[in-house]
Amino acid sequence: MKKLSIILLLTALIVAITSCDVLDTEPQTSLDPEAALVDAASAQAVLLGAYSRMQVGSYYGIEYTLNNDLVADNAQMLGFFDSQLEIDSGNVPISNLWIGNAWVNIYRVVNIANQLIDAVPDIEDEAFTTRDRVLGEAHAIRALAYFDLLRVFGEHFDTSSNFGMPLLLEPIENNDFNLIPDLNRSSVTDTYAQIMDDLNIALQLMGDGYVDNERLSYWSTLALRARVNLYRQDYAAAFDDADRVIEESPYTLVEDVNDLFGADITSTTSESIFDLVFNDQDQSSYYTFVFQRNEYRTDSSLLDAFEDGDERGALFIGDNDRSAKWANSDNANNARILRLGEMYLIRSEAAVYREATPVPALGTDDLNVIRNRAGLGDLDPLATEEEYIDALLQERRVELNFEGHRFFDLVRFDRIGDVLGRDDFRKVFPIPRDELLASDNLEQNPNYPEP
Amino acid sequence: MDTKRYIQIITSAFFGLCLMLSTAYAQQTITGQVVDVNDEPLAGATVIVDGTDRGASTDVDGQFTLQASPDETLIVRFVGYQSQEILVGDQTEFTITLRVDDQLLDDVVVIGYGVQERSDLTGSIASVSGDQIANQPVASLDGALQGRASGVFVSTPSGTPGAGITMNIRGQTSISGSSEPLYVIDGVPIISEDLSGLFSGGQATNSLADLNPNDIESIEILKDASATAIYGSRGANGVVLISTKRGEAGQSNIGFSMYTGFQQVTNKIDMHSSQEFLELMNDAARQDNRDLGTDYSDTHVSDIWGFDPNDDNLQNTVWYDEIFRTAPISNYELNASGGTESTRYFTSLSYFDQEGTQLGTGFERISGRLNLDTEVTDWLDFGANVTLNRTLQDRVINDNSLYGVVINSLAGDPLMPVFEEDGSYADPFSYFGWWMLDNPVLIAEEYQRFTNTTRGIGTVFGVASISDQLAFRTSLNIDYTSLEDEAYTPIISRESQDAQRNGFGNFGTTQDFTWLIENYLSYSNTFGDRHNVNGVLGTSFQQSNRDFSSINAQGFPSDQFLKLSVASQVTSASTSGTSWGLASYFFRGNYTFDDRYLFTVTGRLDGSSRFGENFRYGFFPSGSFAWRMTNESFMQNQTIFSELKPRISYGITGNQDGIGNFASRGLFGVSDYRATPTLVPTQLSNANLTWESTKQLDVGIDIGLFDDRINMSADYFVKNTEDLLLNRLIPGISGFSSVTDNIGRVENRGFEFDVRGVILAESDFSWTSSFNISFIRNEVKELEVNNQVLSDSHILAEGEPIGTFYLIDHEGVDPETGNMLWIDENEDGVIDSGDRRIVGNAQPDFYGGFGNNFTYRGFDLNVLFQFTYGNDVFNHSRASYENLGWSRIGIPGIFPLPDGNNHSLADDRWMEPGDVTDIPRASLTNKNWREYSTRWLEDGSYLRLKTLTLGYNFSPDFTQRLGMRSMRIYTQGQNLLTFTNYTGLDPEVNQNARNPLLAGSDFGTLPQSRTISFGINLEF
Repeated sequence: MKKLSIILLLTALIVAITSCDVLDTEPQTSLDPEAALVDAASAQAVLLGAYSRMQVGSYYGIEYTLNNDLVADNAQMLGFFDSQLEIDSGNVPISNLWIGNAWVNIYRVVNIANQLIDAVPDIEDEAFTTRDRVLGEAHAIRALAYFDLLRVFGEHFDTSSNFGMPLLLEPIENNDFNLIPDLNRSSVTDTYAQIMDDLNIALQLMGDGYVDNERLSYWSTLALRARVNLYRQDYAAAFDDADRVIEESPYTLVEDVNDLFGADITSTTSESIFDLVFNDQDQSSYYTFVFQRNEYRTDSSLLDAFEDGDERGALFIGDNDRSAKWANSDNANNARILRLGEMYLIRSEAAVYREATPVPALGTDDLNVIRNRAGLGDLDPLATEEEYIDALLQERRVELNFEGHRFFDLVRFDRIGDVLGRDDFRKVFPIPRDELLASDNLEQNPNYPEP
Repeated sequence: MDTKRYIQIITSAFFGLCLMLSTAYAQQTITGQVVDVNDEPLAGATVIVDGTDRGASTDVDGQFTLQASPDETLIVRFVGYQSQEILVGDQTEFTITLRVDDQLLDDVVVIGYGVQERSDLTGSIASVSGDQIANQPVASLDGALQGRASGVFVSTPSGTPGAGITMNIRGQTSISGSSEPLYVIDGVPIISEDLSGLFSGGQATNSLADLNPNDIESIEILKDASATAIYGSRGANGVVLISTKRGEAGQSNIGFSMYTGFQQVTNKIDMHSSQEFLELMNDAARQDNRDLGTDYSDTHVSDIWGFDPNDDNLQNTVWYDEIFRTAPISNYELNASGGTESTRYFTSLSYFDQEGTQLGTGFERISGRLNLDTEVTDWLDFGANVTLNRTLQDRVINDNSLYGVVINSLAGDPLMPVFEEDGSYADPFSYFGWWMLDNPVLIAEEYQRFTNTTRGIGTVFGVASISDQLAFRTSLNIDYTSLEDEAYTPIISRESQDAQRNGFGNFGTTQDFTWLIENYLSYSNTFGDRHNVNGVLGTSFQQSNRDFSSINAQGFPSDQFLKLSVASQVTSASTSGTSWGLASYFFRGNYTFDDRYLFTVTGRLDGSSRFGENFRYGFFPSGSFAWRMTNESFMQNQTIFSELKPRISYGITGNQDGIGNFASRGLFGVSDYRATPTLVPTQLSNANLTWESTKQLDVGIDIGLFDDRINMSADYFVKNTEDLLLNRLIPGISGFSSVTDNIGRVENRGFEFDVRGVILAESDFSWTSSFNISFIRNEVKELEVNNQVLSDSHILAEGEPIGTFYLIDHEGVDPETGNMLWIDENEDGVIDSGDRRIVGNAQPDFYGGFGNNFTYRGFDLNVLFQFTYGNDVFNHSRASYENLGWSRIGIPGIFPLPDGNNHSLADDRWMEPGDVTDIPRASLTNKNWREYSTRWLEDGSYLRLKTLTLGYNFSPDFTQRLGMRSMRIYTQGQNLLTFTNYTGLDPEVNQNARNPLLAGSDFGTLPQSRTISFGINLEF
């Protein structure tokens, strides 16, 4: 009997010892960072991952784009959620949910770019022939992310301002959250300088052979630089960049406005310079919120703004005049980040303002190109700068509505007081409350409260 | 006496004499009678000779005859009575009196890895017997524990059948992690979380509902560190030990019980009729004339809408009547138990069926169990416990979802019918209430959502007695769950129509396989007659593997189909999986000196795969001391105290639940772009991630008075939880807003008191009573980032408890204008979310229960009251049905579209200057309405008549004529009365069950049911 119990004991002990590997469990749907950037294929996957992160709802998945029209006078909110109601009202508190999410999600794209820029030069892989292109594209992506952050949170319209963005240009060491640096906000000039630096390096590394209008390839980056130059008021450079894109890139204007937008238009058009691709397996949220939930409605002032005969006025469908740009019911419409139509508008504005004193006449040709495409006649001659600004803002509004431009346009021309009835300090959104709590060095924008 | 009997006696006596003469310890014939305290014979009692196969049952006169030798012991048993053991000795005739087993508390208590005499306990443990929870019309056992033990706060967050229940033992210890206790059934820690993938608006499924409550023999709730530390890393929230019934030697028992009843919601809200609705809207316009200078007519709104308020034939739908119903509930159970000294069994089979009080809900369960104990040899015992269950839960979306049933009924427009004249469902967009998104009856009846679960828990164990003092136990346990979710959104629903799709279907599975191997040695010895030592030393290894799958499809030919093969397009299909492991080593030592001074020491070393490499293992010790004062010499001559045992304990336990299985690692996940897979960073790493640890000090006393006629215990405890697993705010420039880290500290301190006593015990009438009350204060002591706003209504702040409300506040209604006096907290001239401040919390000041049990001859009456006091509830639902005419969309002057109807309390609103009230004036504008404000913050205190049972036990004479051993019929009521000031459906509801950070919020939650049932228990 004793023997048997001893045998039992031993069996149990053996079982006990060999069961020690219960602690070695591995995640089945994720990777450790050490396995993520090791060769050409994984570097490509991480690079594409940046686009996946641009697709999130608070970025180009819907909100970065449509909240711009919402905070201005193109869209109005008829939904439940405080976050969007606050944006619609223009009184955005520091606790607003969207600004908190947008900050983090756009910086995630920066984070991915930083990791690539840091790791790609050192990857040992003989098959890695596209190394320069990958590196260049990472720079371009970082430039886009910082520019998008600056436009929302920084005083992008005032190059003398200190309220730029905190510039993080290196990956987090060891992915260890304890090693996140506590950065100050750089000045607006320094932020622009970094963006331009990234864009220039990108163009140089990519080379004009890299053509892909679903990614930040050569022409996309050049078009982005045109826009950045416009915002930072370097009109000569903006003109040159926009001009090159219009004249030398493989892209042409779509002839009929109805072929440009609609429920059936779910892939790139001849006019697309950079589309963020969505399809029915990888959906955005535009259709969901504009049509299905019926929340982002069109403001009546926008509907009234169309001149008679403007074909773009018909791009609103249904009883509720919802924007046809997002009508595909599988949420498969691409997000149009850069397109040729905008380049004409940029070139127009740059032509007028690159002279010492603005010459309105120089900008009318390009405006007319856009107008003619939409079935309108040419503009009457523009005599004063005021008239030009009105015509430009009008054209930008009827062309680029529901594409995320309206608020920035009004800010650049200092019109939020007249058009929206808002105070000056609301040209920028506040820094989110949680960010101010988590960092000591981060400074809030003027006139917004501290937490 | 008849001749046969006479001959029997003579013959036995003769043989007996021979045997007696041949050997000194030879067997002889023993006769006797078994009676009760009133000298009534007990027929069918068992008399066994200990250690042998010899036994007999008493006959109709309570008489028995046996062979036994003087050194043997007789064991006498009868169901419902206390057993007795009698040494045969010199006697050959016995009269054995059995007492009814009316002990208030069992002598032997199940503790972690063993049992202990109640008098030897040094820790704080509450016991609930299986009888107290048996046959209660609830789906799962945790629903029956409310109000029964101090320190145990149970709340039923929703009346949804089979829904998850919140249980906190001694307060909420964790913020991000789970505060639910560890459930252990017959030694197996089981999965108790929600495994379903279906979104149902915040209500979890309850995997404890997989188990049949009637299988339970007893429940022990371990509260202080000394009792829970042996469960180490999972003991911080308390441990609920459940023991299921086992067979006993001698008597075979067959039991049949059933109950059937009906349920209704405990409360509905009185809403205005159509006429009152129109009158209020017109009043809103008139009030605006006065306050805002508008110029509306007296019947402004009803004119625009085209109704006459004085019309007697107005459509008047009472929406709560349309979605709630009287629903049946029933339970059937058959069990058998019995055995011999060497093999004992308990087996049961049951069927439970509960239809929900709201359309479209229900819960069904089939459950079977077999518990076996057998002695293979005189030193080796084997046993097995197996239970197999299948449940089907019929669900709807509720609570905080746009397409919920109760949510859509909240401000239901009475002018809207349920069905149009052609029989189709009425479309809310054709009527004037804006809140309702889809017809709630459509949602309840036409949407299909099911969760089917098959669950098996099995244990095989062996106990080897290596010597008289040392035993070794090994066990292998398996907990297996296979769950299927199936859902269908119909073509006629708003969801489908808005998306221009012909219906959506979803199918998902979750499979969880958890195994556990435990081995331990237990030692027990007494030295020198005064020193008693017990010890336990063991190991435990556990691993869980979980697999998921999910398919979504759209485009169905009609609403008759649920299966996805008929769908025209599969929109997504994926599989996934995860796993975790736990390795542990534990010990416990008890030392008792002279049965007066009791010392206990426990320790457990746990390693978990969830934690960072640097901190994988944690050590959790505890120590306690108790003094049995009643065994002291100076207490020997008093008769008042039968037990006086002060005790103190201190220990450290841990918590690792509620965080992800790989929370410590930096991770890249997979996404896609242009149908190409991509890698994206999804998590920053934290190599230092480790257990939450709770240090608990407990000082208590157990008192027994008048020979244990009254039992009391009182405890004061302080629980400090450090290294809280919390989402720590980090700078967003990293691309992440938070990381899971051990930061923060929460303290729970409180006082518990339990008393139970036999107030009267006459021969045919008895009355026992019990009362428990707990005062627990919860406070967040330290956070890395203070004042974290968690949601639109909740904040986490130092110095405040978990579940603190953060809302816009007001100073009442201005008697002159009828407008709300909002408090502009940040003085910016605008009332918005920036004006929120801390206004209250969901923690009760105290809670408890009060129960009474009466017996009179064959009747018994049991009454349980349960109460909670001092907690606030954010009645979010009320924001929609006290809109007072505000037109959320539409244009007030041109076409008003309010959320919908108002409740009758809106009649208390301000009407003219000089009125003093707390409800503002009606208005077509939203001046006086803020969704997240204290207008909706109410007192959630309540007193509830939780259970009332009246039963009758037929006399043994009567039942035996029918061939049965006992028969009992009863009627029972659950939630019969509720006393509360809360204006909503149920003061206990909570839209986010099991998320203490968002506690106390009521938004379209289904109230509990009032149930009346009738049942019968038979025993053969």
